[in-house]
Order: sequence, then structure tokens, then C-alpha cells
Amino acid sequence: MNPLELTLGIMTAVGGFVDISELVFAGKAGSTFGYALIWVFVFSTVGIMVFGEMSGRVAAVAKQPVFNLMRHRLGLKLGIVTLIASLIANLITCAAEVGGVALILNYLTDAPYMLMAIVSTAVLMASMWVLPFKWIERAYGLLGLFMVTFAVALVAIHPPWHQVAGGLVPHAPAGLSTREMLNFAYFMVAIVSAVMFPYEAYFYSSGGIEEDWGPKDLPMNRISCTVGFGLGSLLAISILASSAQLFGPINVDPQLPGTTALEAATPYGKIGLVLALLGMLFAVGGAAIETCMANAYSIAQFFGWEWGRHRKPWEAPRFTIAWIVLFLAALGIILTGVDPMKLVEFAILFSILVLPLTYLPLLLLAGDKSYMREHVNGVVGKTLGWFYFAVVTAAALAALPLFLLTSGGQG
Amino acid sequence: MRASLLLLLPLLAACAKGPQADLQYIAEARSLAAEWALVNQQAAQGKLTDAYVTAMRTSLQQQANTAAKALTQPDSDYAREMRAIAAEPLDAAPDELRAHSDRLKTIEDQLESA
Repeated sequence: MNPLELTLGIMTAVGGFVDISELVFAGKAGSTFGYALIWVFVFSTVGIMVFGEMSGRVAAVAKQPVFNLMRHRLGLKLGIVTLIASLIANLITCAAEVGGVALILNYLTDAPYMLMAIVSTAVLMASMWVLPFKWIERAYGLLGLFMVTFAVALVAIHPPWHQVAGGLVPHAPAGLSTREMLNFAYFMVAIVSAVMFPYEAYFYSSGGIEEDWGPKDLPMNRISCTVGFGLGSLLAISILASSAQLFGPINVDPQLPGTTALEAATPYGKIGLVLALLGMLFAVGGAAIETCMANAYSIAQFFGWEWGRHRKPWEAPRFTIAWIVLFLAALGIILTGVDPMKLVEFAILFSILVLPLTYLPLLLLAGDKSYMREHVNGVVGKTLGWFYFAVVTAAALAALPLFLLTSGGQG
Repeated sequence: MRASLLLLLPLLAACAKGPQADLQYIAEARSLAAEWALVNQQAAQGKLTDAYVTAMRTSLQQQANTAAKALTQPDSDYAREMRAIAAEPLDAAPDELRAHSDRLKTIEDQLESA
């Protein structure tokens, strides 16, 4: 098997796990609660592996991307509700990613933030126009691997490994006040949302169809999900653990993505800082492309248009116009001056509300023998699928009250 | 009826005013001062690039200013402390910034336990 075949999973996961929300959020989780939230990352990672594998399998066997399923399985009315909700969630997320890329370029060059937002959007759009899908995933997936700097930096600062390992055991820290407990619960829900962002399933399943997957690709789909999402999770946990070690004791709850880069600068100085910023740039840039494409895929699939980046842009004109308009809309949101970090909070909230509606049709089709034949969900897939569906539904119900009670995890 | 009241509680909590409502901004400013101190300390050790230091200092100061302006109790001790942070020069001494952060942390802990 060609290792480059894994890049779809790596891009999806690196863009999904260590996007702008995770860069700040994992850092805050570590500085506020030490290592106690590591298990939530691991728990959610298994969930996205289950649904990622399922969406890839459905794409390979039934040749159906997630949004096609939604319209057929949920009916037109609920399908439209899901479409609108996911469009809003993905557009807010895309705007936050564009703002994130601009911020990181600002840290790298000290050029004005707004100018960087315009430049980065132009570059992202040009790369989407020029590069075929395979090269988009390879470029952003592989360059995002600079993020490994964070895992190396964690080892270099010698964290208390027994405490890090203790974080793998599901628990809540002892002695929390009611306010802190609510905050902890909000972080749990938000991590589930951020790890299992719906756009990852839309992008990954559509990517499988772009690459013309068939049943022969199922082993690669499984490996790609395991390696890609496992790597993304490892990077997010590295950011959390470094934050617990370096930031927690000195009152820092990272408010800016740039602060997270200090985790690499502490042991490795300027080289660590620049490598970390480059990793962040490509991971967040990849996430911007993922969210924009996920939205364009959703619209095109819902209305039955020609779609895909395996075609020339003019061969799928409405799809092409959709992603161009969505990128410009994301840029427009940033140019209003809104703080990308505030957008992140709303993106996480909106996404968790969409999650059950995203994964229910997928579960139903993956369990339908008439479509999936011998590749239908087995006992393990079915059990895990319905278990995680129950989890995301409970998280969706709890998300809004917790968001309001904790001011978006601020206290 | 009871369900509607339960739904209203978080909304009411989110619209509250006073020191409890200001807690999120106090926590934000406490962290911003500590982040600023860390940036200035590592800059002094030659661990950071010039572009990064300039961009971070400017952003941190702007955010500290925004947090101070968002308070519902502008005449409180913590408001004065937060305005003092926002008024610090970009290359302020790390110890000075850390002292602001520590004072806000004390206030934050007192308000949380109240």
C-alpha cells in the first residue's frame, strides 16, 4: 500500500483535530484542568474513527456521500433543516479558520491581520482552483505534519508521565466547585463537538467518492481513519499536556492561538516556534479548505448538482461557484472585525447541534444490507455506532445550557 | 411551565450583571497578563522571532483593553487592575505583568468562592 494513500485521512484529521478551535481549546483544557480531560479526547477519537470509517465505507460501497443520505433518509423538511444548520456551522467554522490563518501569518510576518486575511483567502482559493483533489489533500495533509513539533516538544519538557497516563482514565478532578464542575462539563461537550465536527464526515466521505473508492479500498479506509484520527488526537493531547505542564501553573489559559506556539518555543527556541507556527498554518489552512469544501459538497449533493474537484472547475460550475462564494462569505465575516476566537465558540456550539442529524442517516445506511451487502455494519460497528450516537445526542441537548451557564467555558 | 422555567435559567444567568458576570473578563485579563509576561520573558531570552513578539504584544494589549471595556462594574478594584494592564507598555517587565495577573487571580478566586 502506498503511504500517500493515507493523506485523505491525515488531512481530514489534522484539519479536524488541530484546527483553530482545538489550538486554543486543547490549550485551555490543559491549563484549566491539568491532564483530566485527556480521556475525553481519546473517547471522542474512537467515536470519530467509528463514524469516519463508516462514512468512508458507505462512500466506497454504496457510492453515497453523507449529504445524499441525509436528504433520502431524513426527508426533505428535516434534510433542509440539517442542511441550513450545517451550512451555518461550517461557514462560521470556515470564517474562524480563515481568521486563524491570518493570525498565524501575522505572527510569522507581523503584516497587518486584515491584509493577511485577504491574502490567505486568495491563496487558499487559488490552491483549490489549481490543484486536483489528490494534491490538495497531499499538500495540506503532509505539510500539516509540521504539527508533530508539538508532540516532540512535549517529550522535551519532561511532563510527569504518570499523571499524563492518569488522564487516560475517565474521571473528573476532585474538589471542584459547582461553577468549575459546570465548566468541566462544558469542556467535555465542546471536546466531543470539536473532535467529531460534522464537516469531517462530509469531507472524508466526499473525498472517498472524489478518489473513486470501491470495496477494494475498504482496508485502506480503515487504516486511514485509524492512523489519521489517531495522529490528530495525539497532537491535540500533546497540546493539552504541554499546556497543563507549562501554562497551568502560571495562570495562563491561552486566549490567542499564538500562545500555543510557545509550547514549542520553550524547549526549542526560535526553530521550535517557527516549526510550530508553520504546522499551525497548514493545519488551519487545511481546515479552512475542508470546511469550505464540506459546505460546497453539502449544497451540491443536496440539490443533485454536478460536484467534485476531480472535475475541472468549469465542469461543475454550480459547485465551483458555491465554494468561491462560501470562501468570500467567510472572508467577509472576518473583515467585519469579529474575533475569530469568538467565532470558534459559536462554531463548536452549532456543530454539536448538527451532529446527531449528521450521523443518524449514516448509521441507518451503514446498517442497511440492501445497500451495503456483505459490508454492512457488524455487531461491533453497530454497537459502537449507536452508543456514540446516544453520546452526541446527549451532548447536543446539554450544549446550549452549558454554553450559557459558563459563558462559553470562560467561567 | 416548569420546563420553560428551567430553560430560562441559563438565559437569565447569561444576562446577569455585576462581579459574577464580570468573572469571565477577569479570568480573560488574568490570563492575558500572564501570556504577555511569558512572551516578554521568552523574548528577553532570545527564544522568539521579532515578528512574533511584536504581533503577540499588540494582540494581547488590544484584548486586555477590550476585556476592560466589557466590564459591567467599571469602578471596581478589578476594573482598575485591568485598565492598568491595558496601559502597560508593550515591552513591560514580565514581573510587573505577572503581579497584575496574580492580583486578578486573587480577586477571581474570592469572587468564585463568594
